[in-house]
Amino acid sequence: MIETQAVNFAYRRGEPVIFDISCTIKDGEFVALLGHNGSGKTTLSRLFMALDHPRSGRVLVDGNDIAKLEPADLADRVGYVFQNPDLQILEDTVFDEVAYGLRCKKMTEEIIKKQVKDALSAMGLEDLADAYPRALSFGQKRRLGVAAALALQPRTLILDEITNGQDEQEKEDMMDYLLKLNKEKQITIILITHDMNIARKFTKRVLVLNDGNLVFDGETAALFDGSKDIEQWGLKQPVLSQLGAKLGITALTPEEFCQKVSLKVGEKQ
Amino acid sequence: MSNPVIKFTDFYYGYINSDVILKDINFAIKQDSFTVIAGPSGAGKTTMCKAMVGIVPSYYGGRYAGNVEVLGENIKEKKVSDLAMRVGIMLDDYESQLVSLTAGEEVAFSLLNHGFAPSEVEDRTKKALADVGLPGRENYQLDELSGGQRQRLLLASVLAIHPEILILDEPVSALDPDGAKSLYELIYKIYKQHNMTVVVVEHDLNSVLQYATDLIILDKGTIVAQGPFAQAAKITYGYPALRENLPELWQIKFDLEKRFGIALGEWRNEAAALAELAEKFKGGQGL
Repeated sequence: MIETQAVNFAYRRGEPVIFDISCTIKDGEFVALLGHNGSGKTTLSRLFMALDHPRSGRVLVDGNDIAKLEPADLADRVGYVFQNPDLQILEDTVFDEVAYGLRCKKMTEEIIKKQVKDALSAMGLEDLADAYPRALSFGQKRRLGVAAALALQPRTLILDEITNGQDEQEKEDMMDYLLKLNKEKQITIILITHDMNIARKFTKRVLVLNDGNLVFDGETAALFDGSKDIEQWGLKQPVLSQLGAKLGITALTPEEFCQKVSLKVGEKQ
Repeated sequence: MSNPVIKFTDFYYGYINSDVILKDINFAIKQDSFTVIAGPSGAGKTTMCKAMVGIVPSYYGGRYAGNVEVLGENIKEKKVSDLAMRVGIMLDDYESQLVSLTAGEEVAFSLLNHGFAPSEVEDRTKKALADVGLPGRENYQLDELSGGQRQRLLLASVLAIHPEILILDEPVSALDPDGAKSLYELIYKIYKQHNMTVVVVEHDLNSVLQYATDLIILDKGTIVAQGPFAQAAKITYGYPALRENLPELWQIKFDLEKRFGIALGEWRNEAAALAELAEKFKGGQGL
């Protein structure tokens, strides 16, 4: 569980960027953190991971004040995948990259081998175990970052813009896998994203930040039901909610949308 | 049809120690078109861009068959550097293309390498920076620019050579939706102003729906569909596995057309779709 209590934050010598945010993310939730560029999404998530510390207020992880947790202890509880995968790459092969955190934890090579293999195959990278990480495509590097976090099997995963640069199929596969992880292992997932479709399709709850303020905390369906002016927060209604609101149809895929149009027309005739 | 500015004939290519990446590629890109190349990851889109400027195979080596003609010349007979004065390219990993300390030096770099006079370099640099919305930033250090600004800076460096063709490989992949929207608006403005031919690799067709005149869909190294946007989109819709590469609006369009045996407009934005659907749908009575 991650909890923030009246958290404020400003970067060194800078203007305040996070204002008085209080929220609780419970175990097993799948939450999207939305907001326009510069709204404070990444900054807030960095506070969850003690990569930065609030100017005032507290961040609690599983009830412990994060300022007092040992980094290793925190890393066991929360995994973080950076927006820029290049920042996270340390090793010379994909396998070693994913094994890095496990080796730091002094796991046996046998366990490492298994966990690395599982994480790589979950991200569709099993054939690239021997490849040089910096030579991978941008999308592959992103998946490598996720694999490295997955291998450590944290209770909470914070993922910053991981679907950027992936094609539709890769996005679906990645999200399906995270959904499975969330359902079967009750891993808490906090997804920072600009992709309204992904948020709408895969998450139950959304937090919306606007200029450092928490302006919406509620069910995903309520945010996208077409009744809210989310453009004032720099967000865009997905195509399907725009069309759906006009025609009174709720659908998550174009196919479902058309099926429902078809049914509706059928009923009237 | 206007003249093709890029023409691939029976083209095959494989990198060193790799399988054949592109197979039996035949297509032509019309002058003044805004052509979008789309398809799943690993389809060969980036390789095709590299072949358009000759760095495949000149720089990468590998196995190569067939012909690539750019602006009427066979690229096998041209040096990459000669072509570089007529065809500008922006790679997806744009940071790797930046080489200088300041914005002005960055834009001037290729001009100086090609021996332009200092006054000409200065003029073109000034103009190119203004074109991309970075006027007067000549003396800015690169690390004073945000990611989005650095990307526009790179676009300025490419524009400064006054290319006839602009090739962009996933230009917005590192930008948020607002940044992506404004970069495409900028690219479109430049495209219109300078009467250029634009070729863009983009997997999110929603973001280029307003601009694309032509479409090429690549899958597993071969061309599945090509032609004017509406026509190529329709062919693509015929392949269920590739449908999701199309903009959502068009997936809906083709699905409804099929279900109801009707013809809907060539929607280029949500407003057009909304207007037509609301009108045809009439609360469920229509269609």
